[in-house]
Amino acid sequence: MKENCGDIMRISLDLELKDMPGQLIGALEPISEFGANVISIVHIREEERVRSGKTHVHFVVDVESIDVIERIATELGSRDIKIVKLGEAIRKRRVGVLIIGHVVDTDLRDTIDRINELSGVMVSDMSLSMPKPEKESSALFDIELAEKANQKDVLDRLCEIAREKNLEVIRSLEV
Amino acid sequence: MKIQIIGFGVIGQGFLRVLLKKKEELEMAGEDIKIVSITDISGTAYNDKGIDFEKALETVKNTGKIIDYPEARKISGLEAIEEIDADLVLELTPSNIKTGEPGLSHMLAAMKAGKHLVTSNKAPLALKFKKLVETAEKNGVEFRYEATVGGAMPIINLARETLSADRILSIEGILNGTTNYILTRMTQEGAEFEHVLKEAQQLGYAETDPTYDIGGIDTASKLVILANALMGMNATYKDVKTHGITRITPEAIKLARESGYVIKLIGEVKNGILEVAPRLVQVSHPLNVGGALNVAMLTCDIAGEITVAGKGAGAIETNSAILSDIISITGRR
Repeated sequence: MKENCGDIMRISLDLELKDMPGQLIGALEPISEFGANVISIVHIREEERVRSGKTHVHFVVDVESIDVIERIATELGSRDIKIVKLGEAIRKRRVGVLIIGHVVDTDLRDTIDRINELSGVMVSDMSLSMPKPEKESSALFDIELAEKANQKDVLDRLCEIAREKNLEVIRSLEV
Repeated sequence: MKIQIIGFGVIGQGFLRVLLKKKEELEMAGEDIKIVSITDISGTAYNDKGIDFEKALETVKNTGKIIDYPEARKISGLEAIEEIDADLVLELTPSNIKTGEPGLSHMLAAMKAGKHLVTSNKAPLALKFKKLVETAEKNGVEFRYEATVGGAMPIINLARETLSADRILSIEGILNGTTNYILTRMTQEGAEFEHVLKEAQQLGYAETDPTYDIGGIDTASKLVILANALMGMNATYKDVKTHGITRITPEAIKLARESGYVIKLIGEVKNGILEVAPRLVQVSHPLNVGGALNVAMLTCDIAGEITVAGKGAGAIETNSAILSDIISITGRR
């Protein structure tokens, strides 16, 4: 079971590692230990750096607060791993929306697209339950709202979709 | 304090039982509570020196009618309010959200007759709150209604008295025990809505016609009372966007649970908007209370978030709120 809701901060960090086996695991451990959620990892092996025995890895992580990054940085430092670049933190809120009805037959793709087309709004995850063909199914969306996202627009759009497709929309308390 | 009881169902009879239970404590505290009349649909039992509680309960148990009490007259609630000398009217008739009657007329008549009013009847407040408050002020009487919301859960007096320095910015909560019971059982058992509703009806948690609870009407009525009483709004039941729980499936509950949520019927007043709807509540959230409990979270400008929970219904529990309202009025006299 996961906890989905609440404020999150998306931040990028470039780490400089020694170009030898086991270093990436050593960098990932503190990131995972302090509760950061890794969104992407890009390993940048540039010839020039490799020749000097170093390599860069670009991480994008979600954290609950900037304190988490500070704790990760301290732990990485003690492992002789340097943060060479810290990106600007993008604040987001993550909320849950559950939809009950004939969610697939009423074009699930269209439902997601219409939520995503709102400015600063993105469906980042979805789970689906389809019990029997004749019964109503359910879909649970994780929706990320950037600071610029207008909550009223999201509510209006959800109501519009619910009305049009005869779906029951159940929002988390935060939206 | 001479009290008239109008409406003698489960709550009214529970009130007499609580008075019997608390007799010594009340006497020691110097509370002189005398029930001078009890009215039900059959008529009015009356005794200026005080009705015998046990005899009144026995009468209703045996015949179902208060008119069979030895000193009873065939007069209605309105007539009893006008004709009988008393300090306070306890209005406990059934809630009727369409018209608010007969409770609304009883309440207005009591106030106009210079009698304080205590009630557990939601509908008149959900429809005509402003009129009732103004009538009470105009006639210089106290109007207390803690029992209309959340039964034994203290919220109205808590916010108005203990949190009197704060402004209430928003209220959200589970204000109906029946729907909480149904959704809790669906979560625990993975059972269908209709199945659990039948179980709730057999256990007496849900009425034969459950629309009032499962359609969110009861929650909406309570939400209006809270919005008006605690946030100074002038809302009526018709201002609430109300949505019930009939479409919730066990599969949806399971899906929510896998993502760390439960589904609860939540009443919310925020930014001037009143809404009742099923919502996803994080498992770790203070509003996630199970069984038939009620819970409310007040967001205050100084105190921050305050959450209270308690039994939302019950013949004895609701009378905790009624009796505390009466005691607070006797203390002010």
